[in-house]
Amino acid sequence: MRRPSKACPFCETRVRFVDYKDERTLGRFITDHGKILPSRLSGVCARHQRQLSTAIKRARYLALLPYTRGLQG
Amino acid sequence: MAVNIVPDPENFLMEAPIPLPLLRQPEGGGYVQREDCQDMPRPYEAVYIFDSTLEDSAVTEKLDRFHQLLGTTGEMKIDHWGRRQLAYPIGTKENGYYVIARFDAEAAGIPEYERALKLDESVVRYLLSIFENEVGAPPMTEEELALAKKRGDDDDDDEE
Repeated sequence: MRRPSKACPFCETRVRFVDYKDERTLGRFITDHGKILPSRLSGVCARHQRQLSTAIKRARYLALLPYTRGLQG
Repeated sequence: MAVNIVPDPENFLMEAPIPLPLLRQPEGGGYVQREDCQDMPRPYEAVYIFDSTLEDSAVTEKLDRFHQLLGTTGEMKIDHWGRRQLAYPIGTKENGYYVIARFDAEAAGIPEYERALKLDESVVRYLLSIFENEVGAPPMTEEELALAKKRGDDDDDDEE
């Protein structure tokens, strides 16, 4: 079944490249546990989702975003 | 001598009448840069995380030393984010001093520069990447937006 198309938040704000240093924006696209949110939930287009996943991985390496969160113990 | 172009069915592989072209191999057996791409400066972006106990002046001094190794003459944009908390502890460290630098450099100088960074114990982490004009790039025009939208609609069909 075709899902209703959601507008890509990056396309709407005319973002050309997803910035790995902008942890506030990237933080919107990870789950409570720190996983990358699938595009089917966030509505990010394929092109920006590819950039986003690289950006989140870079941000994690730079300790701007956590690898995991909320799983203590 | 006439070359027998009709191969013997039994010894087909043994007696190939036409010599096979040699497999293309780079000179010296290694990776060779294209001639027209050599010595071409590329835009880089480096993010450093220094030990937060380091003095500000010491950080600037270290940055100067690292950037000298690159041998760049062009302008260098350095942005000090300063001390901030790390999202997770790295070793025993909870805080880091973040610096972002943008510069044009030739690929030949990069290994020496990275070696110095790795050897320096006050550099907690660094990330060197090709700068893609994330910030400076103009926003997408109407045409590009429409194109992206069209592409997005096409992509929708192949999922679920």
